[in-house]
Amino acid sequence: MERKLRRLLKAGALAGLVALYFSLDESTRRYLAHIGKQVPYLPYRYFI
Amino acid sequence: MDYDAVVIGAGLGGLSCAADLARNGFRTLVVENTGQVGGCCSSYDHQGYRFDIGASIVELAWVIDTLFQKLGRKTADYIDFIPIDPIYGFVTADGRRFSYPVSVEETRQVIARFSEEDARSWERFAAVGSEAINFAFGKVMTESMGSLRDMARVAMANPKLAKYLKYMVLNFESVLCKFFKNDTVRASMSLQSYFIGLPPALCPGYVAFLAYSEHEGIYYPRGGMIAIPQGIASAFREFGGEIRFNSRAVKVLTEGKRVRGVELADGTQIEARIVVSNINAKTLYLELIGEEKLPAWAKRAIKSYRVSIPAPMIMLGLDARPDLDAHHTFCYATLEEMNRIWFEDYLSGRVPDGGFMLISWPTHADPSLAPEGHHCLNLVSFAPYRLAEGDWDSHKEKYLEMMLGLLERNFGLRLRDHIQVAKVNTPKDFERMLLHPEGAVYGLQNDITCAAAFRPGVRSRVFRGLYLTGASTHLGGGIAPTVGSGMVAADFILRDFG
Repeated sequence: MERKLRRLLKAGALAGLVALYFSLDESTRRYLAHIGKQVPYLPYRYFI
Repeated sequence: MDYDAVVIGAGLGGLSCAADLARNGFRTLVVENTGQVGGCCSSYDHQGYRFDIGASIVELAWVIDTLFQKLGRKTADYIDFIPIDPIYGFVTADGRRFSYPVSVEETRQVIARFSEEDARSWERFAAVGSEAINFAFGKVMTESMGSLRDMARVAMANPKLAKYLKYMVLNFESVLCKFFKNDTVRASMSLQSYFIGLPPALCPGYVAFLAYSEHEGIYYPRGGMIAIPQGIASAFREFGGEIRFNSRAVKVLTEGKRVRGVELADGTQIEARIVVSNINAKTLYLELIGEEKLPAWAKRAIKSYRVSIPAPMIMLGLDARPDLDAHHTFCYATLEEMNRIWFEDYLSGRVPDGGFMLISWPTHADPSLAPEGHHCLNLVSFAPYRLAEGDWDSHKEKYLEMMLGLLERNFGLRLRDHIQVAKVNTPKDFERMLLHPEGAVYGLQNDITCAAAFRPGVRSRVFRGLYLTGASTHLGGGIAPTVGSGMVAADFILRDFG
Protein backbone atom coordinates (compact mmCIF):
# COMPACT_ATOMS: atom_id res chain seq x y z
CA MET A 1 0.00 0.00 0.00
CA GLU A 2 2.78 2.35 1.06
CA ARG A 3 4.74 1.45 -2.08
CA LYS A 4 1.72 2.17 -4.26
CA LEU A 5 1.26 5.53 -2.54
CA ARG A 6 4.89 6.40 -3.11
CA ARG A 7 4.57 5.53 -6.80
CA LEU A 8 1.46 7.65 -7.09
CA LEU A 9 3.22 10.58 -5.44
CA LYS A 10 6.17 10.25 -7.82
CA ALA A 11 3.87 10.08 -10.85
CA GLY A 12 1.97 13.11 -9.53
CA ALA A 13 5.17 15.08 -9.03
CA LEU A 14 6.35 14.18 -12.52
CA ALA A 15 3.01 15.15 -14.03
CA GLY A 16 3.15 18.41 -12.06
CA LEU A 17 6.60 19.20 -13.41
CA VAL A 18 5.51 18.44 -16.97
CA ALA A 19 2.41 20.63 -16.53
CA LEU A 20 4.54 23.40 -15.02
CA TYR A 21 6.98 23.17 -17.93
CA PHE A 22 4.20 23.50 -20.50
CA SER A 23 2.59 26.37 -18.59
CA LEU A 24 5.79 28.43 -19.03
CA ASP A 25 6.19 30.85 -21.90
CA GLU A 26 8.12 29.71 -24.95
CA SER A 27 11.23 31.68 -24.05
CA THR A 28 11.56 30.15 -20.58
CA ARG A 29 10.87 26.66 -21.99
CA ARG A 30 13.64 27.13 -24.55
CA TYR A 31 15.98 28.34 -21.80
CA LEU A 32 15.24 25.39 -19.52
CA ALA A 33 15.59 22.92 -22.41
CA HIS A 34 18.98 24.44 -23.25
CA ILE A 35 20.13 24.25 -19.63
CA GLY A 36 18.72 20.72 -19.30
CA LYS A 37 20.88 19.47 -22.16
CA GLN A 38 24.00 20.71 -20.36
CA VAL A 39 23.17 19.19 -16.97
CA PRO A 40 24.79 15.77 -17.64
CA TYR A 41 28.15 17.52 -18.11
CA LEU A 42 28.06 19.44 -14.84
CA PRO A 43 29.75 16.76 -12.69
CA TYR A 44 32.68 16.69 -15.14
CA ARG A 45 32.84 20.44 -15.52
CA TYR A 46 32.92 20.96 -11.79
CA PHE A 47 36.19 19.08 -11.47
CA ILE A 48 38.24 20.60 -14.26
CA MET B 1 64.30 26.78 -13.12
CA ASP B 2 64.49 29.70 -15.57
CA TYR B 3 61.55 31.50 -13.96
CA ASP B 4 59.17 30.97 -11.06
CA ALA B 5 56.21 31.58 -13.34
CA VAL B 6 55.66 31.70 -17.08
CA VAL B 7 52.46 33.26 -18.38
CA ILE B 8 51.11 32.26 -21.80
CA GLY B 9 49.49 35.30 -23.38
CA ALA B 10 49.65 39.02 -22.56
CA GLY B 11 45.89 39.55 -22.35
CA LEU B 12 44.35 41.34 -19.38
CA GLY B 13 44.06 38.19 -17.25
CA GLY B 14 47.63 37.08 -17.86
CA LEU B 15 49.11 40.54 -17.29
CA SER B 16 47.08 41.16 -14.12
CA CYS B 17 48.27 37.86 -12.67
CA ALA B 18 51.86 38.45 -13.83
CA ALA B 19 52.00 41.94 -12.30
CA ASP B 20 50.70 40.67 -8.95
CA LEU B 21 53.23 37.81 -8.97
CA ALA B 22 56.13 40.06 -9.92
CA ARG B 23 55.21 42.48 -7.14
CA ASN B 24 55.40 39.57 -4.75
CA GLY B 25 58.90 38.68 -5.84
CA PHE B 26 58.17 35.88 -8.34
CA ARG B 27 60.52 35.86 -11.35
CA THR B 28 57.83 36.08 -14.02
CA LEU B 29 57.96 35.87 -17.80
CA VAL B 30 55.04 36.56 -20.13
CA VAL B 31 55.26 34.97 -23.60
CA GLU B 32 53.02 36.61 -26.17
CA ASN B 33 52.24 35.32 -29.65
CA THR B 34 51.71 38.77 -31.20
CA GLY B 35 53.88 41.90 -31.10
CA GLN B 36 51.75 43.74 -28.56
CA VAL B 37 49.86 43.41 -25.30
CA GLY B 38 46.13 43.14 -24.66
CA GLY B 39 44.69 40.26 -26.67
CA CYS B 40 41.03 41.20 -27.14
CA CYS B 41 41.51 44.49 -25.26
CA SER B 42 43.96 46.06 -27.63
CA SER B 43 44.34 48.47 -30.54
CA TYR B 44 46.46 48.69 -33.65
CA ASP B 45 47.58 51.48 -35.95
CA HIS B 46 46.56 51.38 -39.60
CA GLN B 47 47.12 54.19 -42.11
CA GLY B 48 47.06 56.93 -39.49
CA TYR B 49 44.05 55.58 -37.58
CA ARG B 50 44.12 53.65 -34.32
CA PHE B 51 41.49 50.95 -34.22
CA ASP B 52 40.40 48.89 -31.23
CA ILE B 53 40.53 45.15 -31.80
CA GLY B 54 37.79 43.93 -29.48
CA ALA B 55 36.66 45.60 -26.25
CA SER B 56 35.38 49.13 -26.77
CA ILE B 57 34.51 50.44 -23.31
CA VAL B 58 35.20 49.89 -19.62
CA GLU B 59 32.56 49.41 -16.99
CA LEU B 60 33.01 48.28 -13.39
CA ALA B 61 36.29 50.21 -13.53
CA TRP B 62 36.71 49.68 -9.77
CA VAL B 63 38.08 46.21 -10.59
CA ILE B 64 41.05 47.85 -12.36
CA ASP B 65 41.46 50.21 -9.40
CA THR B 66 41.50 47.20 -7.08
CA LEU B 67 44.28 45.62 -9.16
CA PHE B 68 46.43 48.76 -9.03
CA GLN B 69 45.79 49.07 -5.28
CA LYS B 70 47.04 45.48 -4.89
CA LEU B 71 50.11 46.51 -6.82
CA GLY B 72 50.62 49.50 -4.51
CA ARG B 73 50.00 51.86 -7.41
CA LYS B 74 47.35 54.36 -8.53
CA THR B 75 45.38 53.67 -11.72
CA ALA B 76 45.54 57.34 -12.73
CA ASP B 77 49.35 57.17 -12.92
CA TYR B 78 49.05 54.51 -15.64
CA ILE B 79 45.71 54.93 -17.41
CA ASP B 80 43.78 58.09 -18.21
CA PHE B 81 40.11 57.15 -18.22
CA ILE B 82 37.73 59.48 -20.06
CA PRO B 83 34.15 59.36 -18.72
CA ILE B 84 31.60 58.56 -21.44
CA ASP B 85 28.18 60.22 -21.53
CA PRO B 86 25.69 59.38 -23.00
CA ILE B 87 26.05 55.64 -22.68
CA TYR B 88 24.25 54.72 -25.90
CA GLY B 89 22.70 56.41 -28.84
CA PHE B 90 19.92 54.35 -30.42
CA VAL B 91 18.80 54.24 -34.02
CA THR B 92 15.64 52.32 -34.72
CA ALA B 93 14.59 50.66 -37.94
CA ASP B 94 12.01 53.43 -38.48
CA GLY B 95 14.69 56.12 -38.17
CA ARG B 96 13.90 57.31 -34.63
CA ARG B 97 16.84 58.34 -32.48
CA PHE B 98 17.29 58.70 -28.76
CA SER B 99 20.03 58.19 -26.22
CA TYR B 100 20.47 57.07 -22.62
CA PRO B 101 22.59 59.42 -20.49
CA VAL B 102 24.62 58.14 -17.54
CA SER B 103 22.19 59.83 -15.14
CA VAL B 104 19.54 57.36 -13.98
CA GLU B 105 17.00 60.16 -13.62
CA GLU B 106 17.63 61.57 -17.09
CA THR B 107 17.34 58.05 -18.53
CA ARG B 108 13.99 57.74 -16.73
CA GLN B 109 12.84 60.86 -18.55
CA VAL B 110 13.86 59.37 -21.90
CA ILE B 111 12.02 56.12 -21.13
CA ALA B 112 8.95 58.11 -20.05
CA ARG B 113 8.63 59.33 -23.65
CA PHE B 114 7.82 55.72 -24.61
CA SER B 115 5.98 54.56 -21.53
CA GLU B 116 5.23 56.14 -18.15
CA GLU B 117 4.76 52.69 -16.67
CA ASP B 118 8.20 51.59 -17.88
CA ALA B 119 9.74 54.80 -16.57
CA ARG B 120 8.50 53.81 -13.11
CA SER B 121 9.81 50.29 -13.69
CA TRP B 122 13.19 51.75 -14.67
CA GLU B 123 13.47 53.28 -11.19
CA ARG B 124 12.79 49.85 -9.68
CA PHE B 125 15.15 48.16 -12.15
CA ALA B 126 17.90 50.67 -11.31
CA ALA B 127 17.41 50.15 -7.58
CA VAL B 128 17.57 46.35 -7.93
CA GLY B 129 20.49 46.66 -10.37
CA SER B 130 22.42 48.97 -8.06
CA GLU B 131 22.07 46.60 -5.14
CA ALA B 132 22.80 43.55 -7.30
CA ILE B 133 25.93 45.09 -8.79
CA ASN B 134 27.28 46.81 -5.68
CA PHE B 135 26.39 44.34 -2.97
CA ALA B 136 26.00 41.02 -4.72
CA PHE B 137 27.30 40.13 -8.18
CA GLY B 138 29.91 42.89 -8.36
CA LYS B 139 31.69 41.51 -5.30
CA VAL B 140 32.42 38.20 -6.95
CA MET B 141 34.64 39.72 -9.65
CA THR B 142 37.83 39.52 -7.64
CA GLU B 143 37.07 36.43 -5.54
CA SER B 144 37.38 32.79 -6.44
CA MET B 145 34.09 31.18 -7.44
CA GLY B 146 35.71 27.93 -8.52
CA SER B 147 34.06 25.53 -6.09
CA LEU B 148 30.74 25.14 -4.35
CA ARG B 149 32.57 25.97 -1.12
CA ASP B 150 33.83 29.23 -2.70
CA MET B 151 30.35 30.02 -3.91
CA ALA B 152 28.89 29.35 -0.46
CA ARG B 153 31.63 31.46 1.18
CA VAL B 154 31.01 34.38 -1.17
CA ALA B 155 27.25 34.04 -0.66
CA MET B 156 27.68 34.06 3.13
CA ALA B 157 29.87 37.15 2.91
CA ASN B 158 27.37 38.84 0.57
CA PRO B 159 24.00 37.85 2.06
CA LYS B 160 22.18 39.89 -0.58
CA LEU B 161 23.44 37.50 -3.25
CA ALA B 162 20.80 34.96 -2.21
CA LYS B 163 18.08 37.51 -2.92
CA TYR B 164 19.22 37.65 -6.53
CA LEU B 165 19.56 33.93 -7.18
CA LYS B 166 16.22 33.98 -8.99
CA TYR B 167 17.89 36.04 -11.70
CA MET B 168 20.22 33.13 -12.32
CA VAL B 169 17.28 30.80 -12.85
CA LEU B 170 15.30 33.15 -15.09
CA ASN B 171 16.62 34.02 -18.53
CA PHE B 172 17.59 37.50 -19.73
CA GLU B 173 14.45 37.89 -21.79
CA SER B 174 12.16 37.03 -18.87
CA VAL B 175 13.89 39.52 -16.59
CA LEU B 176 13.57 42.32 -19.14
CA CYS B 177 9.94 41.44 -19.83
CA LYS B 178 9.23 41.26 -16.09
CA PHE B 179 10.34 44.86 -15.66
CA PHE B 180 9.41 46.48 -18.98
CA LYS B 181 6.33 46.27 -21.19
CA ASN B 182 7.15 48.64 -24.04
CA ASP B 183 8.84 46.98 -27.05
CA THR B 184 11.17 49.93 -27.68
CA VAL B 185 12.34 49.98 -24.07
CA ARG B 186 12.83 46.21 -24.03
CA ALA B 187 14.74 46.29 -27.30
CA SER B 188 16.96 49.15 -26.10
CA MET B 189 18.24 46.91 -23.31
CA SER B 190 18.48 43.71 -25.33
CA LEU B 191 22.05 44.09 -26.59
CA GLN B 192 23.69 43.20 -23.28
CA SER B 193 22.89 39.50 -23.74
CA TYR B 194 25.20 39.46 -26.75
CA PHE B 195 27.88 41.13 -24.61
CA ILE B 196 28.38 37.66 -23.17
CA GLY B 197 27.72 36.02 -26.53
CA LEU B 198 24.17 34.68 -26.10
CA PRO B 199 20.71 35.61 -27.38
CA PRO B 200 18.18 36.98 -24.85
CA ALA B 201 16.44 33.57 -24.66
CA LEU B 202 19.56 31.66 -23.56
CA CYS B 203 21.34 34.31 -21.55
CA PRO B 204 21.19 34.16 -17.72
CA GLY B 205 18.83 36.74 -16.23
CA TYR B 206 21.39 38.52 -14.05
CA VAL B 207 23.14 39.79 -17.21
CA ALA B 208 20.11 42.05 -17.78
CA PHE B 209 21.41 44.28 -14.99
CA LEU B 210 24.38 45.23 -17.14
CA ALA B 211 21.90 47.68 -18.64
CA TYR B 212 21.94 49.36 -15.25
CA SER B 213 25.61 48.84 -14.35
CA GLU B 214 26.65 51.07 -17.24
CA HIS B 215 24.90 53.91 -15.41
CA GLU B 216 27.45 53.58 -12.61
CA GLY B 217 29.88 55.05 -15.12
CA ILE B 218 31.60 53.90 -18.30
CA TYR B 219 35.01 54.98 -19.49
CA TYR B 220 37.29 55.00 -22.47
CA PRO B 221 41.07 54.97 -21.94
CA ARG B 222 42.94 57.81 -23.65
CA GLY B 223 45.11 56.34 -26.39
CA GLY B 224 42.75 53.47 -27.22
CA MET B 225 41.80 50.27 -25.42
CA ILE B 226 45.41 49.12 -25.56
CA ALA B 227 46.19 51.77 -22.92
CA ILE B 228 44.72 49.44 -20.25
CA PRO B 229 47.02 46.43 -20.84
CA GLN B 230 49.91 48.84 -21.50
CA GLY B 231 49.32 50.39 -18.07
CA ILE B 232 49.30 47.00 -16.35
CA ALA B 233 52.36 45.91 -18.38
CA SER B 234 54.24 49.05 -17.26
CA ALA B 235 53.59 48.22 -13.62
CA PHE B 236 54.63 44.60 -14.29
CA ARG B 237 57.95 45.72 -15.79
CA GLU B 238 58.59 48.07 -12.84
CA PHE B 239 58.49 44.98 -10.63
CA GLY B 240 61.10 43.30 -12.82
CA GLY B 241 58.70 41.32 -15.00
CA GLU B 242 59.66 40.42 -18.55
CA ILE B 243 57.50 40.17 -21.69
CA ARG B 244 58.72 38.25 -24.74
CA PHE B 245 56.77 39.24 -27.87
CA ASN B 246 56.32 37.18 -31.05
CA SER B 247 56.84 34.07 -28.95
CA ARG B 248 54.18 31.47 -29.37
CA ALA B 249 53.90 28.77 -26.74
CA VAL B 250 53.12 25.47 -28.45
CA LYS B 251 53.39 23.08 -25.55
CA VAL B 252 52.94 23.04 -21.79
CA LEU B 253 55.65 20.77 -20.39
CA THR B 254 54.43 18.33 -17.79
CA GLU B 255 55.94 15.72 -15.53
CA GLY B 256 53.36 13.36 -14.15
CA LYS B 257 50.61 15.52 -12.74
CA ARG B 258 52.57 18.74 -12.45
CA VAL B 259 53.71 21.34 -14.97
CA ARG B 260 57.35 22.21 -15.48
CA GLY B 261 57.30 25.00 -18.09
CA VAL B 262 56.46 25.73 -21.71
CA GLU B 263 57.95 25.11 -25.12
CA LEU B 264 57.92 27.87 -27.73
CA ALA B 265 57.37 27.46 -31.47
CA ASP B 266 61.11 27.90 -32.10
CA GLY B 267 61.85 24.93 -29.85
CA THR B 268 63.01 26.95 -26.82
CA GLN B 269 62.01 25.32 -23.56
CA ILE B 270 61.38 27.58 -20.58
CA GLU B 271 61.41 25.84 -17.21
CA ALA B 272 59.06 27.19 -14.52
CA ARG B 273 57.25 25.63 -11.58
CA ILE B 274 54.14 27.71 -12.31
CA VAL B 275 52.41 28.04 -15.68
CA VAL B 276 49.62 30.59 -16.05
CA SER B 277 47.47 30.27 -19.15
CA ASN B 278 45.75 33.28 -20.67
CA ILE B 279 44.56 31.38 -23.74
CA ASN B 280 41.33 29.54 -24.43
CA ALA B 281 40.96 26.63 -22.00
CA LYS B 282 40.09 24.18 -24.81
CA THR B 283 43.29 25.10 -26.68
CA LEU B 284 45.27 24.78 -23.46
CA TYR B 285 44.05 21.35 -22.42
CA LEU B 286 43.50 19.72 -25.80
CA GLU B 287 46.44 21.16 -27.78
CA LEU B 288 49.16 22.62 -25.56
CA ILE B 289 48.91 19.84 -23.00
CA GLY B 290 47.40 17.19 -25.26
CA GLU B 291 44.33 15.09 -24.66
CA GLU B 292 46.45 11.95 -24.27
CA LYS B 293 47.71 13.39 -20.98
CA LEU B 294 44.23 14.09 -19.63
CA PRO B 295 42.23 11.66 -17.53
CA ALA B 296 39.01 10.50 -19.22
CA TRP B 297 36.78 12.70 -17.04
CA ALA B 298 38.85 15.82 -17.79
CA LYS B 299 38.75 15.07 -21.52
CA ARG B 300 34.98 14.72 -21.33
CA ALA B 301 34.68 17.94 -19.33
CA ILE B 302 36.76 20.15 -21.60
CA LYS B 303 35.23 18.73 -24.77
CA SER B 304 31.73 19.41 -23.43
CA TYR B 305 32.20 23.17 -23.65
CA ARG B 306 31.20 25.00 -26.79
CA VAL B 307 33.20 28.05 -27.73
CA SER B 308 31.38 31.37 -27.72
CA ILE B 309 29.86 33.13 -30.71
CA PRO B 310 32.35 35.14 -32.80
CA ALA B 311 31.96 38.87 -33.39
CA PRO B 312 33.21 39.98 -36.81
CA MET B 313 34.31 43.59 -36.76
CA ILE B 314 34.53 46.25 -39.46
CA MET B 315 36.97 49.08 -38.84
CA LEU B 316 36.37 52.30 -40.75
CA GLY B 317 38.53 55.41 -41.00
CA LEU B 318 36.34 58.36 -42.06
CA ASP B 319 37.32 61.79 -43.36
CA ALA B 320 34.32 63.43 -41.66
CA ARG B 321 32.42 63.35 -38.38
CA PRO B 322 29.85 60.54 -38.49
CA ASP B 323 26.20 61.39 -37.99
CA LEU B 324 26.01 59.72 -34.57
CA ASP B 325 25.16 60.84 -31.06
CA ALA B 326 27.30 58.78 -28.68
CA HIS B 327 30.42 56.66 -28.20
CA HIS B 328 28.24 53.59 -28.69
CA THR B 329 25.32 53.51 -31.07
CA PHE B 330 23.01 50.53 -31.02
CA CYS B 331 21.19 50.00 -34.30
CA TYR B 332 18.71 47.77 -32.70
CA ALA B 333 16.25 45.00 -33.23
CA THR B 334 13.39 43.65 -31.16
CA LEU B 335 13.96 40.88 -28.61
CA GLU B 336 12.30 38.43 -31.01
CA GLU B 337 14.66 39.45 -33.81
CA MET B 338 17.68 39.12 -31.50
CA ASN B 339 16.59 35.54 -30.77
CA ARG B 340 15.77 34.81 -34.41
CA ILE B 341 19.28 35.81 -35.42
CA TRP B 342 20.66 33.09 -33.13
CA PHE B 343 18.17 30.29 -33.73
CA GLU B 344 17.69 30.78 -37.48
CA ASP B 345 20.81 32.48 -38.81
CA TYR B 346 23.66 31.62 -36.44
CA LEU B 347 22.76 27.96 -35.97
CA SER B 348 22.26 27.54 -39.75
CA GLY B 349 25.60 29.09 -40.66
CA ARG B 350 24.05 32.19 -42.24
CA VAL B 351 25.43 35.72 -41.86
CA PRO B 352 22.46 37.80 -40.65
CA ASP B 353 21.57 40.41 -43.25
CA GLY B 354 19.13 42.10 -40.93
CA GLY B 355 19.08 42.57 -37.23
CA PHE B 356 21.35 44.70 -35.16
CA MET B 357 24.73 46.30 -34.99
CA LEU B 358 26.80 48.06 -32.38
CA ILE B 359 28.79 51.03 -33.65
CA SER B 360 31.69 52.13 -31.53
CA TRP B 361 33.05 55.64 -32.12
CA PRO B 362 36.29 55.94 -30.11
CA THR B 363 37.31 59.31 -31.62
CA HIS B 364 34.18 60.78 -30.01
CA ALA B 365 36.03 60.42 -26.70
CA ASP B 366 39.62 60.67 -27.90
CA PRO B 367 40.10 62.59 -31.18
CA SER B 368 43.85 61.87 -31.12
CA LEU B 369 43.16 58.35 -32.47
CA ALA B 370 42.71 59.69 -36.02
CA PRO B 371 44.18 62.53 -38.12
CA GLU B 372 42.60 65.91 -37.40
CA GLY B 373 39.00 66.06 -38.60
CA HIS B 374 38.96 62.29 -39.23
CA HIS B 375 37.23 59.61 -37.20
CA CYS B 376 37.42 55.89 -36.41
CA LEU B 377 34.38 53.64 -36.24
CA ASN B 378 34.06 49.97 -35.34
CA LEU B 379 30.97 48.13 -36.55
CA VAL B 380 30.34 45.03 -34.47
CA SER B 381 27.85 42.31 -35.17
CA PHE B 382 27.65 38.57 -34.57
CA ALA B 383 27.88 35.79 -37.11
CA PRO B 384 28.75 32.09 -37.30
CA TYR B 385 32.30 30.80 -37.73
CA ARG B 386 31.30 28.10 -40.20
CA LEU B 387 29.33 29.47 -43.10
CA ALA B 388 26.77 27.36 -44.90
CA GLU B 389 28.04 28.81 -48.19
CA GLY B 390 31.66 29.80 -48.84
CA ASP B 391 34.17 30.81 -46.22
CA TRP B 392 35.09 34.00 -44.42
CA ASP B 393 38.22 34.73 -46.45
CA SER B 394 36.21 34.95 -49.65
CA HIS B 395 33.28 36.59 -47.86
CA LYS B 396 35.08 39.71 -46.52
CA GLU B 397 34.11 42.18 -49.25
CA LYS B 398 30.58 40.87 -49.38
CA TYR B 399 30.30 41.19 -45.61
CA LEU B 400 31.50 44.80 -45.68
CA GLU B 401 28.97 45.65 -48.41
CA MET B 402 26.23 43.79 -46.56
CA MET B 403 26.82 45.65 -43.29
CA LEU B 404 27.14 49.09 -44.93
CA GLY B 405 23.96 48.30 -46.86
CA LEU B 406 22.20 47.27 -43.65
CA LEU B 407 23.09 50.60 -42.03
CA GLU B 408 21.84 52.55 -45.04
CA ARG B 409 18.72 50.53 -45.74
CA ASN B 410 17.51 49.80 -42.23
CA PHE B 411 18.87 52.66 -40.17
CA GLY B 412 19.40 55.56 -42.57
CA LEU B 413 23.12 55.85 -41.78
CA ARG B 414 25.21 56.49 -44.89
CA LEU B 415 28.92 56.15 -44.22
CA ARG B 416 30.43 55.00 -47.50
CA ASP B 417 30.98 58.50 -48.98
CA HIS B 418 33.53 59.27 -46.27
CA ILE B 419 35.37 55.97 -45.94
CA GLN B 420 39.14 56.37 -46.28
CA VAL B 421 40.11 53.05 -44.75
CA ALA B 422 38.03 49.90 -44.35
CA LYS B 423 39.22 46.71 -42.74
CA VAL B 424 37.22 43.63 -41.88
CA ASN B 425 38.29 41.28 -39.09
CA THR B 426 36.38 38.06 -39.60
CA PRO B 427 36.13 35.18 -37.12
CA LYS B 428 38.94 33.53 -39.13
CA ASP B 429 41.10 36.62 -38.61
CA PHE B 430 40.43 36.56 -34.86
CA GLU B 431 41.44 32.90 -34.86
CA ARG B 432 44.67 33.65 -36.73
CA MET B 433 45.57 36.87 -34.87
CA LEU B 434 44.61 36.01 -31.33
CA LEU B 435 44.48 32.19 -31.53
CA HIS B 436 40.84 32.15 -30.39
CA PRO B 437 39.41 28.83 -31.60
CA GLU B 438 36.62 29.59 -34.09
CA GLY B 439 37.16 33.30 -33.46
CA ALA B 440 35.42 33.01 -30.10
CA VAL B 441 35.97 36.38 -28.46
CA TYR B 442 34.29 35.38 -25.19
CA GLY B 443 36.22 32.14 -24.80
CA LEU B 444 33.66 29.52 -23.93
CA GLN B 445 29.88 29.70 -23.94
CA ASN B 446 28.62 31.74 -21.01
CA ASP B 447 25.36 30.25 -19.77
CA ILE B 448 24.93 29.24 -16.11
CA THR B 449 26.04 25.67 -16.80
CA CYS B 450 29.45 27.05 -17.74
CA ALA B 451 29.72 29.74 -15.09
CA ALA B 452 31.68 30.08 -11.85
CA ALA B 453 32.33 26.58 -10.42
CA PHE B 454 31.30 24.96 -13.72
CA ARG B 455 33.77 26.92 -15.85
CA PRO B 456 37.33 25.56 -16.10
CA GLY B 457 38.91 26.31 -12.72
CA VAL B 458 41.37 29.15 -12.21
CA ARG B 459 43.49 26.61 -10.32
CA SER B 460 43.63 23.52 -12.49
CA ARG B 461 42.45 20.36 -10.81
CA VAL B 462 44.25 18.26 -13.42
CA PHE B 463 47.83 19.57 -13.13
CA ARG B 464 49.58 21.05 -10.10
CA GLY B 465 51.18 24.40 -10.85
CA LEU B 466 48.77 25.20 -13.70
CA TYR B 467 46.50 28.25 -13.42
CA LEU B 468 44.00 29.70 -15.86
CA THR B 469 43.06 33.31 -16.48
CA GLY B 470 40.98 35.13 -19.10
CA ALA B 471 37.59 34.67 -20.70
CA SER B 472 37.40 30.88 -20.47
CA THR B 473 37.70 30.71 -16.71
CA HIS B 474 36.29 32.47 -13.61
CA LEU B 475 33.31 34.63 -14.68
CA GLY B 476 33.89 34.72 -18.44
CA GLY B 477 34.74 37.49 -20.89
CA GLY B 478 34.86 41.23 -20.42
CA ILE B 479 37.42 43.57 -18.94
CA ALA B 480 36.38 43.36 -15.28
CA PRO B 481 36.01 39.55 -15.17
CA THR B 482 39.31 38.90 -16.96
CA VAL B 483 41.27 41.35 -14.78
CA GLY B 484 39.51 39.67 -11.82
CA SER B 485 40.58 36.23 -13.07
CA GLY B 486 44.22 37.37 -13.01
CA MET B 487 43.90 38.57 -9.42
CA VAL B 488 42.20 35.34 -8.35
CA ALA B 489 44.94 33.25 -10.03
CA ALA B 490 47.66 35.29 -8.31
CA ASP B 491 45.92 34.80 -4.94
CA PHE B 492 45.90 31.03 -5.49
CA ILE B 493 49.56 31.00 -6.51
CA LEU B 494 50.62 33.08 -3.50
CA ARG B 495 48.71 30.66 -1.28
CA ASP B 496 50.19 27.58 -2.99
CA PHE B 497 53.76 28.76 -3.55
CA GLY B 498 54.18 32.00 -1.59
